[in-house]
Amino acid sequence: MKYILLMSGTKAGVDRYHAWSQRDIETHMAVLRGITNDLSGSGEFVATQGLAEPAEAKVVRGEKNGIPVTDGIFPESKEFLLGYWIVDVATPERAYAIAGRISAALGPGGTPTNMPIEVRRFAVYEQSKSQ
Amino acid sequence: MKYILMMNTMRAGQGVPQWGQKDLQAHIAFMTGLNKELRQSGELVSAEGLSFPNQAKLVRAGKDGMPITDGVFPESKEFLAGYWIVDVDSPERAYAIASKASAAPGPGGAPLNMPIEVRPIMSGPPPETL
Repeated sequence: MKYILLMSGTKAGVDRYHAWSQRDIETHMAVLRGITNDLSGSGEFVATQGLAEPAEAKVVRGEKNGIPVTDGIFPESKEFLLGYWIVDVATPERAYAIAGRISAALGPGGTPTNMPIEVRRFAVYEQSKSQ
Repeated sequence: MKYILMMNTMRAGQGVPQWGQKDLQAHIAFMTGLNKELRQSGELVSAEGLSFPNQAKLVRAGKDGMPITDGVFPESKEFLAGYWIVDVDSPERAYAIASKASAAPGPGGAPLNMPIEVRPIMSGPPPETL
């Protein structure tokens, strides 16, 4: 079963992250790197991706004349996707365990961030669309 | 340049939309056609639909290392319904594709005009995480 683990945060949260010391960022990344390595070793790794800054986000709607309408204004409370992991696991509990590890990645001063990670299963009927 | 186009259209607790069978089929046929077009132009990297928000869980690490799961979300939370990753020459092309997806037919065949969030993605995982 494929699951996507979504890490999201507000613009304010991203600003706080930018204030982390270089050392804290390196420690945090080392934990995430370790998780990716473990998942590759267990054959559960499908993909991981970080997204560019929320400042670069646009929201697009179709208009009647077929011209896209873009807008870059979002409510302050909006949670932006920061990055994701796609894993192929035997049970939902295993997906939750991996998300728990990501959530426990160390933050400033070496304390776990305890970031909430949203766990969603891929819809089976859609999987044939992927390449 | 890679972009992710996100359909953040679902809300907490939602399941399969209560549309007529014909409307659902028209919607899916539109999406299948869009994907086919993007595959033919060489711009499609991946496209996935997610299960409905009524199955979503939020996970945090507990102190003992055990995951704590929770399925309670604020009503205002946007849920990802699905996404496309496309590899295109310009942001404008990503917006044009998003606009097409936005106009997917809904109930009665009327365009949904759903908002599609468009974000550049990094060309690979951050090197420090590899």
